[in-house]
Amino acid sequence: MIVFDLLGMFLSAYMVGFLYYGLYRNITARFQRRIGPTVLQSFYDSIKFFSKEESISHGWMFYLGPVIMATGAVMTLFFIPFFYKSESFSGLSQYGNLFVVLYLMMLGPLGNAMGVGVTGNPFAAMGITRGLTRLFAMELPFYIAVIALMSINHSADIATIAANQPTMNAIEYPLLFIAAMFSFVAMMGQSPFDVVGAPVEVYSGPAAEFSGKFLALLMSQSSIMSFAKLVLMVNLFIGGAEGFLELLGKTFVLFLFVIAFGAMYGRFKTPQSVDFLVKVPTAIAVVGLVLATLGGQ
Amino acid sequence: MEEGFLKEQQIMENDLNSDTSHKSSVDFLMNWFRKRSIFVLAYGTGCGAIEMPPTFTSRYDAERLGIRGAATPRQADVIIVSGYCSYKTLRRIIRTYEQMANPKYVLALGSCTVNGGMYWDSYNTIKKLEDYMPVDMYVNGCMPRPESILEGFIELQKEIAEGKASSWQKYEENYEFYRKNQEAVLGKTVAPAYDADWYLYDGGL
Amino acid sequence: MRILTLIFPLLTALAVLMISTSQSVWQMDLAVFGFENITVGLKATALSNFFAVLVAFSLFAVSLVSGKQTLSKSFYFLLYLLTWSLLLIVYSSDYLLFFVGWEVMSISTYLLLSYTLSREALVKYVVFAMASAMSLLAAIMILYTGAHSFMYVDAHQAYLALSDTLAVIFVVLMFFAFFVKIGVIGFHYWLVDAYTESHDFFTPYLSAVVSKMAVYALIILLLTVIDISTFSNSWISYTLAIFGLLSSLIATFKAVNENSMKRVLAYSSIAQLGYIVTVLSFADGVSGALYHSLIHTLVKLLLFINVAGIIYVTSKSKFSELGGLIYRMPQSFVMLLIGIIVLAGMPPLGGFASKYLIYNTLLENGNLLILAAMMFASAAAFLYIYKLIYGIYLGQPTSKKLESVKEVPFFFLIPQYIISVILVVLGTVPGILTPYLNTILTELKLQALPFTSVAVLNTETGSYNGLVVISAFALIFIVILFVLLSLKSKVREAKDRFDIAYCGEVPNEATHLHYGFSMGKELKRVGFIGTILKNSSRVFYDFISKQLFAFATVFRKIYSGNLSVNFNIAALFVLALLWWSLK
Repeated sequence: MIVFDLLGMFLSAYMVGFLYYGLYRNITARFQRRIGPTVLQSFYDSIKFFSKEESISHGWMFYLGPVIMATGAVMTLFFIPFFYKSESFSGLSQYGNLFVVLYLMMLGPLGNAMGVGVTGNPFAAMGITRGLTRLFAMELPFYIAVIALMSINHSADIATIAANQPTMNAIEYPLLFIAAMFSFVAMMGQSPFDVVGAPVEVYSGPAAEFSGKFLALLMSQSSIMSFAKLVLMVNLFIGGAEGFLELLGKTFVLFLFVIAFGAMYGRFKTPQSVDFLVKVPTAIAVVGLVLATLGGQ
Repeated sequence: MEEGFLKEQQIMENDLNSDTSHKSSVDFLMNWFRKRSIFVLAYGTGCGAIEMPPTFTSRYDAERLGIRGAATPRQADVIIVSGYCSYKTLRRIIRTYEQMANPKYVLALGSCTVNGGMYWDSYNTIKKLEDYMPVDMYVNGCMPRPESILEGFIELQKEIAEGKASSWQKYEENYEFYRKNQEAVLGKTVAPAYDADWYLYDGGL
Repeated sequence: MRILTLIFPLLTALAVLMISTSQSVWQMDLAVFGFENITVGLKATALSNFFAVLVAFSLFAVSLVSGKQTLSKSFYFLLYLLTWSLLLIVYSSDYLLFFVGWEVMSISTYLLLSYTLSREALVKYVVFAMASAMSLLAAIMILYTGAHSFMYVDAHQAYLALSDTLAVIFVVLMFFAFFVKIGVIGFHYWLVDAYTESHDFFTPYLSAVVSKMAVYALIILLLTVIDISTFSNSWISYTLAIFGLLSSLIATFKAVNENSMKRVLAYSSIAQLGYIVTVLSFADGVSGALYHSLIHTLVKLLLFINVAGIIYVTSKSKFSELGGLIYRMPQSFVMLLIGIIVLAGMPPLGGFASKYLIYNTLLENGNLLILAAMMFASAAAFLYIYKLIYGIYLGQPTSKKLESVKEVPFFFLIPQYIISVILVVLGTVPGILTPYLNTILTELKLQALPFTSVAVLNTETGSYNGLVVISAFALIFIVILFVLLSLKSKVREAKDRFDIAYCGEVPNEATHLHYGFSMGKELKRVGFIGTILKNSSRVFYDFISKQLFAFATVFRKIYSGNLSVNFNIAALFVLALLWWSLK
């Protein structure tokens, strides 16, 4: 039944996402020569926020902000198939395709921007502006890489693209993979492109006014969304997955790479990151696109 | 109001005698989660703030205990009053404390918060933080080393687990008392004014 | 006044309905009046009906809004004249009546704009409109020499009969005429000022429908006259693709930098129409172009009427003077929210369907880099979309007066509700338009879109199910909202608008808290965006006008004011004419 399928996807994304974020804090700590919290720390954080005695709100639109963001994250998850060969854990992916997923990824931040804007906090609005500026810059190399894949496979369906890979698209089309990885680091909110939620620099940006259960909802959707993006990258570039262990392994390797990248670099300013992202990764992606389409056809 | 060690002893004995801990299992679970995840507001209010960076970063690593920094008062659980409070800072501290979401805890570092410490005869600082804000845990010293701060956090975690760290309830119940004291030093508007009206209200230079 | 102003729109709608269902054709041979070889006619094709319905609906929406205001009778007369001319344009089956309609459209738009436009903006409009009309006339005349007929049915033969250079000149002149009216970058110099300064109730009509006439004409040109379905990849496709791409990119970034509400929407119109121009570079892009025309008409009506309501209630039109109106005008806010979700092309609502068709056309035809740039422009559009809603409704109010405004009068809200319902329906069942689009496509001798069910939008590369998307969205939204509301923690409302986390400080009335108008200004520091924002077409047109002025100053000296010199020049001219005619 499709409801059990969706529930299974949701629960696995929730658990694995939070686990990965706990691992993220642990691994970053080891990079910094300290121990760090336990692996289950993200669960503790979110349960603590859910159980806060009070939360502060700014009206009815303030409720809708995190709710729309969570809805966008869950919908993105549901439209990405976990295992391209089997029917289980494929969610609603037969009713949509890659274009739908790419736009659903942007639905959440836009809805959240409404909730953030209604608080009237100028720091939060500044964070949203930085987020939207970074959004269009980081999507450009990703779009070029994804469009190249769609054109090679003559289809915009994720399962088809995942199934048609001879070995892995990352090995077949390395330039596309490198360009997409630049965008992916930005999408996961890692340095050097993480100026949006910079805690002290911009007063934690969009999350400036969220407390209690609203913040818990934001943290939950963040972990679900990260897992959805990881699964998307695995399907598009790293050969898809046929079992849950394989999916976990591949997403973890990808996640580890992204964390390591983020732990090494400092933070770009917003104009700097836009400038970089529309020059170097875009050039790599365009060269990869030309090579891929010329070679195939 | 009385000053000095006698009053301090009285307050400590009052706290030990009052039993505000909850006994139900849901509350036990909630307190367990609350003690495992503490977000500290990144606000260094006085010279004790110099000891906070080593505590929260690689050298002494408070993140092992689940403690991490938060940028805004909306996200924070603990506000650390790290040292003396001049009137100017006290306005901002109280405003920030009122913007935090319950349950919230106050950790007071240094001897300046207990009885004025090094600035016991200054015209510009408050001598006893307990009159203006409820405090959960004092960490004495001038200023306390990171190990002391960590020990203070561990004690705070023990109190949270037992349900005794209820300063936010004390603030709400005794709001008139705290407000009267705040207005006595800060003027009718506890909100900060941008011209220097602080020395017009407390007796002048 | 209100009822009277609704009579003509309803009559127009009735007439359009009757014409579209009756498939009527009317022809008249002008040989009766002594003009040989000229036949004019009106025909109700499926394409014409599509645009006629848009025209009738826009007139209805605008009349609903403006019915309560005391606009002069001549305003309404000109508006009806404009509608009549637009209907003439879409229903004519030959280029002569088309040109008559085009001219009447230009003149009546000019007269309507002259109510409120400043002199400089009006002059810009007139110069560009006249240039477009003259080049259109020249192109029509060139086409006539091909087959000695103005009718569309003979136009393809006429085009094939032209010599190569004449064919190129014809297409260039036509493109110039239509690009000016669409507002493609480079020819858009008149558009932004005209949209901004025109009367608040006329701008929706202008932006929604008048630009679509040029789209209709472009479709007729590309598919009936030139017939690009038989040969593509020529210079025509490249011209359209490049101009459309530049429009979308440049206008998007220029929109972010603006402070006035209507200017942002004007640049947004240019950007959205750039999508249509790009996708028309391929013959099977007609479906995407038509769907996007429909969506764009509806959404621009919605947005401009919303903005007109704001200006009516607050008398302010800049972001720096507005802000924080969400809880005082909640219905307008929800309407604008729906409008910007559609403008951004987000999946639950109808805007995604048209973008989906456009992207699939570009993907199938292998135009990958332009597709990537189009998606990039669509992502960059979020900036001005968010600025629009933040600057007006979110944030904090910038003046005392704004804290006591009331909701707009109900007549502003009726057309917005109707349009929102239509957009939601189009998002739920995007395939509902496919049968009608297929009628148009078969009429234009193109391949029809595959059609499975009303809820699914099918293309060659894939399909998506709008019903599943929107019901999944609704269900998940309700579940999460329910979970959020039923959690134990109490919710404390912020005390007042100053209770924000502001680093311990307390802002007061004098603090600048509304970040709305300066949003996006920091983009100037990014390389390519800074270049776009620094330059404008004003430099180019100033250069042209200076050169023309210098040339005229020199040429004028031929007429020296001395009567005998003028007479000699006239005599020489007559002698030259006689010599040339006798040759």
